[in-house]
Amino acid sequence: MKKRIVSLLLASMMAVTGLVGCGNSNTVATSGQDTSKASSGGDVHITYALWDSNQEKGIRKMADEFESKNTGIKIDLQVVGWADYWTMLEAAGTGGSLPDTFWMHSNEIYKYASNNMLMDLTDKINKSNEVKLSNYPEGLVKIYNQNNKQYAVPKDYDTIGLWYNKTMFDKAGLSYPDETWTWDKLYDVTKKLTTGDGKQYGFLAPLHNQEGYYNFVYQNGGTIITDKKESGYDNPKTIEAMKYYTKFVSDGLSPKIFDDAARAQAMQNGLCAMGLFGSWNLSGFASNDYMAKNFNVAVLPSANDGKRATIFNGLGNAISAKTKHPEEAWKWVQYLSSKEGQTKQAELGVAISAYNGTADAWVASNKTFNIKCFIDMVKYAQIRPYSNTTAKWEDKAYELLKGSFTGEKPVEDACKETAKMMNEVLKQEK
Amino acid sequence: MAKDITLTRRKPSKKTINEWKWAYALIAPTIIGLIVLNIIPILQTLYLSFFKSGDFGKGNIFVGFSNYKKMFTDIQVWHAVGNTLKYTIIVVPVTVIIAMILAVLLNSKIKGKGVYRTIYFIPMIAAPAAITMVWKWLYNNQFGLINYMLSKIGINAVNWIDNPKVALYSVAIIGIWSTVGYSMVLLIAGLQEIPKDYYEASNIDGASPVKQFFNITIPLVSPTLFFVMVTSIIQAMQVFDVIYMMIDVTSPSYDKTVSLVYLFYNSSFKYSDKGYGSAIVMLLLAIIMIITVIQMKAQKKWVNYM
Repeated sequence: MKKRIVSLLLASMMAVTGLVGCGNSNTVATSGQDTSKASSGGDVHITYALWDSNQEKGIRKMADEFESKNTGIKIDLQVVGWADYWTMLEAAGTGGSLPDTFWMHSNEIYKYASNNMLMDLTDKINKSNEVKLSNYPEGLVKIYNQNNKQYAVPKDYDTIGLWYNKTMFDKAGLSYPDETWTWDKLYDVTKKLTTGDGKQYGFLAPLHNQEGYYNFVYQNGGTIITDKKESGYDNPKTIEAMKYYTKFVSDGLSPKIFDDAARAQAMQNGLCAMGLFGSWNLSGFASNDYMAKNFNVAVLPSANDGKRATIFNGLGNAISAKTKHPEEAWKWVQYLSSKEGQTKQAELGVAISAYNGTADAWVASNKTFNIKCFIDMVKYAQIRPYSNTTAKWEDKAYELLKGSFTGEKPVEDACKETAKMMNEVLKQEK
Repeated sequence: MAKDITLTRRKPSKKTINEWKWAYALIAPTIIGLIVLNIIPILQTLYLSFFKSGDFGKGNIFVGFSNYKKMFTDIQVWHAVGNTLKYTIIVVPVTVIIAMILAVLLNSKIKGKGVYRTIYFIPMIAAPAAITMVWKWLYNNQFGLINYMLSKIGINAVNWIDNPKVALYSVAIIGIWSTVGYSMVLLIAGLQEIPKDYYEASNIDGASPVKQFFNITIPLVSPTLFFVMVTSIIQAMQVFDVIYMMIDVTSPSYDKTVSLVYLFYNSSFKYSDKGYGSAIVMLLLAIIMIITVIQMKAQKKWVNYM
């Protein structure tokens, strides 16, 4: 009798855990289908998926304005964090229930466009009076163009700046970073700002590509990926930059930080005097009292020979190929991409709008920090390296480069291993 | 049971056939649930493990055993097997022992039993992701509460998360902390089924409480104990959420903590190689099955069914 109870319990346990798992995947799969249910009420609901909760408030304001001008269309925002966003989107794509409109990124565009998940916007753009591709930076337009078909319209762009703690500089009697700074200067000042007891470090050199070593690699004339789609990690200039970058960690001038969220915490807790962070952190940093009071931002230092670079990337607004309301979805994306929508986005400080000439409105949106430097860097900005399967080699590169940050592996070996792995992945690309 | 079958094999009467129909009807919900939610996905996973998966479930290419071949030469898979087993070996015995002690204590006549039972059970109800976020703050190297308290008693800061030698234990502590309550409740239920007469009789014979525990409590609670062990081991082998939330791919302790399910998740969803991910899951299934079979065999030696 007892034995049977045990097996019954086991069976019911399995059933319950199975149910739980099922419940989770269901919510993901159906999230895009809300539109059809809600539309029976008379209004057409367009879902808009995004991953940055910092931008949600501003975008909601824009959506309200759009709704007041286009009666009968309602915009439903779906905010999912960066890592889960792509898992959610892939599951939704597999189940044929993508959100009507959503953010696209250079890492993933190839996968979605080549599998016919996105609506071809070329005709719609040609017919539109409000969207002209010549109004956006060319590099950004190109990211979302495949076989002469445009799959997304640039929404915004971002660059990386050098954030610094004014109070720490004042205390040490040093002058703030500016455009005259070089690698040597950065290293010297970092040394002066490091106390050595682990309470204050001069610089934050985390294991992070876009807000970390990518910038130094391109400043040094190195590359991550060549035009021929080969890895640039074994390029001597790349290795040299990686050596310079990891030296901050090995010399004890930067804390060893590997966790993504811990990077900003290190700044907000006054652990590091300087650090590289992208323009999209603006609203997050401005709302932190400590940072708003003590921090400012400057252009990135140049390499010792004067070469400058910063990593530049931009998101796009895309429409699902299977949306039930293509006209309404396009109206929304058109509004987001129009001069009016883009200016509004800049004024609200949501992000640097991609539309040429709206940068000043963004600069004026924030008086706390000297954010004009993000715009100044655009002229020598380098598009974030990408290929058809960026996501595959980017995270594996972290796994292989890690040893050079912990000091277990020489930088050169780590870079060469990364190059080997990356070339194998690139070879498998169609 | 076996007797029943031989008896009915002759010629089932109308009544027995009717009873069978009812029996099938009554277990149908569970069986259908199991087939739809467990058996079919298992078979699909097995099927997928022979393919190189295309994006969005389209364009799968049959590759035979190449995912398995790749898996057996992948050092990271073996790291993950080692980590998963190590985690199980740390977590299960500690959890069961603590749960057993708590169950015996909370089954005795002490004041506020209900309150204690609730307190110990609370970690089980809380969402694992939320729990891990809180623990992550406690473990934080620079600003964490644990390191702060250690510094007060003069112990140097421990890097709970990024030190490869420590990280698996940090994860195990969370695992133990969050499952002790559940095992304890099951064991309390088992303890309450033990008839009081045995204790009374042994009291008259002058047995000490310790003797009673080992000679009455343990043997009589052994079926429940067995159930707790089997389920805890299966649960521990499938450890994922805590490690996923706490240890990023970029962390130096990643190689020393990555579990099989975490590796499966990364392969399937991050690198969108679902075929390879499925192969990893099949390996995990095989390991769990072997361990469970061994336990089923071993139970004859120590489990007493009244």
